[in-house]
This record gives sequence, C-alpha cells and structure tokens, in this order.
Amino acid sequence: MIKLINIELYKIFKKWRTYIGFIAIAILVPVIEFALQIEGHKSLDFMTRDLQQSFIFVGNLLNTYFVSYLILNSLSVHIPFLITLVAGDLLAGEATAGTYRLILTRPVSRMKIVSSKFIAGIIYTFLLILWLAIVSLGLGYLLLGTGELMVFRGGIIMVFAKNDILWRFLLAYGFAVLSMGVVASLAFLFSALVENAIGPIITTMAIIIIFLIISAINVDLFQTIKPYLFTSYMGSWSMFFDKPIDTYEIVKSTLIMLGHIAGLFGLASYIFYKKDILT
Amino acid sequence: MKKVFLLYFLITTICFAQSKDPNVIIKNLKDTFQKVKDYSADVDIKVDVTFLKVPEMKAKIYFKQPDKMHIESDGFAMLPKDGLYTSPLSLLGGEFTAIYAKDELFEGHNTSVVKIIPLNDKGDFILSTLWIDQSENLLCKVESTTKTNGTFTIILGYGNNKFPLPDNIEFSFNAVRLKLSHNSMEEENSNNKKDNPDSSTGKVFLTYSNYVVNKGIPDSIFLKKAKTSKN
Repeated sequence: MIKLINIELYKIFKKWRTYIGFIAIAILVPVIEFALQIEGHKSLDFMTRDLQQSFIFVGNLLNTYFVSYLILNSLSVHIPFLITLVAGDLLAGEATAGTYRLILTRPVSRMKIVSSKFIAGIIYTFLLILWLAIVSLGLGYLLLGTGELMVFRGGIIMVFAKNDILWRFLLAYGFAVLSMGVVASLAFLFSALVENAIGPIITTMAIIIIFLIISAINVDLFQTIKPYLFTSYMGSWSMFFDKPIDTYEIVKSTLIMLGHIAGLFGLASYIFYKKDILT
Repeated sequence: MKKVFLLYFLITTICFAQSKDPNVIIKNLKDTFQKVKDYSADVDIKVDVTFLKVPEMKAKIYFKQPDKMHIESDGFAMLPKDGLYTSPLSLLGGEFTAIYAKDELFEGHNTSVVKIIPLNDKGDFILSTLWIDQSENLLCKVESTTKTNGTFTIILGYGNNKFPLPDNIEFSFNAVRLKLSHNSMEEENSNNKKDNPDSSTGKVFLTYSNYVVNKGIPDSIFLKKAKTSKN
C-alpha cells in the first residue's frame, strides 16, 4: 500500500499543474506581506480606530501572526480551487490518459488503487496547507517579527499574548487541512464519475460557491439548511482563536468534516469499484 | 455671657465650615505635586471589559513637568486615555471655576469634594468632581463627565510613597461598543455570539511600581513615538 501511495504521489508531482498551487501561494503571500509591511499600519489603524478613541496603543500589532491570520481568512475561499486542480484529476486523469485498463489489469485490487489515490490526494492537500503555513508565518517572521495578535470575533475583541498564539495557529492549520480534505474528497468523488478533470474542478467549485451563497443569505429556510452544508464548518479553524476555546464545537466540526470525508470517499470507492471501464 | 460666647463660637464654626476655599484646595494640590519634577514607573495593566479580552500587560511610563509623557512596552499594551493619570494638572488644565461641595470620608481619607467646571467650551470635559485629601494634598477620586465618552471615575490608591504618586488606579468607564472590521465567514463560525449590549461598563486597573522620581529624564525620551522593542 505504501508503494502504491508513493507511486500516486510521484504521478501527482510529475504533473506541472500540481505546482500551480504552490507557486500561487509563493507569489501571493509574499505580495500580501510586503504590501502590509508598507501600508499595514493604515489598515490596522482603520480597524482599531474606534478602540483608539478611548485607548492609547503601545506596541506593534502588525506582526507575522496578524498577517498570517488575515491571509488564512482571505485565502479560505481560494485555496479550495488549488485543491480541486489536483484532486479532480486523480481518477479522471487516468481516463483522459487512457491508462485505466493498464492500472486495473495489475494484480492490485480496485479498492487499493482508489484508496492509494485518495490518500495521495489528502497528502497533497496537507502539503499545500503546510506550504501556506511556512510561507505565511516564516516570511512574516522575517519581515515583521512576532508580537501580540488582536482578533475580533462575535462582537468581542481579543488580544492574545505572544506565547499564546503559535499553538493556536498549528491547530488552525491542522483544521484547515481537514476542511480542505473535504474539498479534495468532493472533487475526488466527481473525478470517479467522469473522464475529464475539468468537470470535477468546476463542479466542486460551483458547489462550494453555491453553498457559501446559501449560507450568507439571511433567509430562514437557508438558515435551517446551513448546519447541513459542509461549507458552514470550513471556517471553523477560527474557533482556535477564542477565549476560551469551545472544545465541543471544535470536536463537532471535526467529526462532521471527518464524516464528510468518509462518506464522500466511500461513495467514490463504490462508484469506482462498480465502474465499467470502457476507455 | 457664656451663652453669647458659645453662640458666637458656633456661628463662626459653621461659617468656616461653609467657606472652604476650593481654589486654595486646588492650589495646595498642585503645589504638592510640583515637588515631582519627573518620574518613571512600571505599570501593570489589567482590563476588565465585557467585550474586551486582553491579557495582563506591562508598560513603562515617563513623566516630566509640566505635561510631558512617554510610554514604552516590550510588547503590546493599551492604556485608557482618560484614565491615564500622570498628574493632577492633566485634569486641571485651562481655566475653570471650582466649587467646594462638602467633606466626605472616602476609603479612609478625609476628603474635600470640589467640583470643577471648565470655562472653556472647547475642551472635552463638562464637569469634574475631585475628592482631595487635604491633610496630605492627595487626589483620591475623580469623577468626570465628558462630551464624547460619557462619565468616568478614577480612584487612586496610595502606599507609603513619599511623593504624591499613586500605587494603583482603578478607572471605570462607560464603554461604547467598539468594533473592528471583520471577515463575515469568521463571524458566522464564532462561538462568542452573545447579545452584547451596545454600551457596557468597564474597568481598567493600573498598578504602578518601581517609581524613580526626580532623577532627571532627558527630553529626547519624550520626542520618541510610543514604542515597543520589536522581536
């Protein structure tokens, strides 16, 4: 099984499109951080203008943690696209290349094949988020240093001490891997249904966008549906920046994400297992 | 005759009690503080506001007569603008009318209560009430009403400092709901959705220590912006 996963990882990283995500993050994150280094004080002053009417601020809130937090927020919609680029191609790419029969005639079960592809997709997702974390926090540390983090959540302004932040980020990035894992699983499911990678990529992104729009519209019917949409939990990484941390909600969100991953993988496996390969 | 003397004594006593000169009280307060040419102190800051969750912070404050102030911190610190008491002069700037109200026992101090009404409309203060310990010429409590931030109260506690500088300050205020720009998706996943009222009372506790008084502070310190040492 390990060998199969290694082979799938090799195939993933042999394709140039795999590096689009890494390159995009390598370009976008430094651009954001350089821009914030130059103009970030104005943004921060704007954000804290009401608070500064009553309080004197001493110190520098513009540091790697603040910038990384902003980046994690703003990229939570764009990262799924980078995930689907690879996950959507895992099975459909074999059909496009005409290699389905080649791999399925090997003495390896279909379950092992589909499992190894899925695990390779999850590993890619993990590596992409890890890259995001390294570039955000690492480059931010070099440019801006560390300091306290101020966040605004649910009407409460929270400031975290310097030594109380890094572990929260590690858990937040960990949860981001989980939520992007759901995206990868969804794209993987669609990839099992079609023979061209474009379909799964577009379909997955369309579903994410539709679910996000439904969640954002303040209508009673949509608010009833909202707890059942996986996109409602994609931003749950920010719960690690609460005081105190709501362990129950985090565990609930984690189980829902894991449930989605298991369900989507199960369905994709069943479809692939029963698939009649005609190409 | 004795009755006449007793009556005379009673009348003059009452007259004296009613005729405490508030301007003299204020002047004595200012003169006592003039002994402090400059000082620096470490300050521990604890914020107790419903919608503000901030860890305990540390800063260093520098003051030089008449009104120079500088604050430094190794990390981030936020200090209340109105509650950052550096000298009585910060509360008694500009022209004002002082009215003596009464004597009151406040936290073990026999204080005279003096009301200050600014004569200038341009300032933020509308009315200030000062509780002044006349025996030691110390400011014990301030209650001020401002145009923009409502009413706040400052309670000053003194230790065995030979200078008229407080060991601790409790600043209470009506905190208007303060907002930061935020990401809407983050708000939806927040666990802190509470029906917070738009206004809330808050307290900030300042504890001063390691006073260094009248040792000379160069003016160059006050030219720097409030700074932090960057990691």
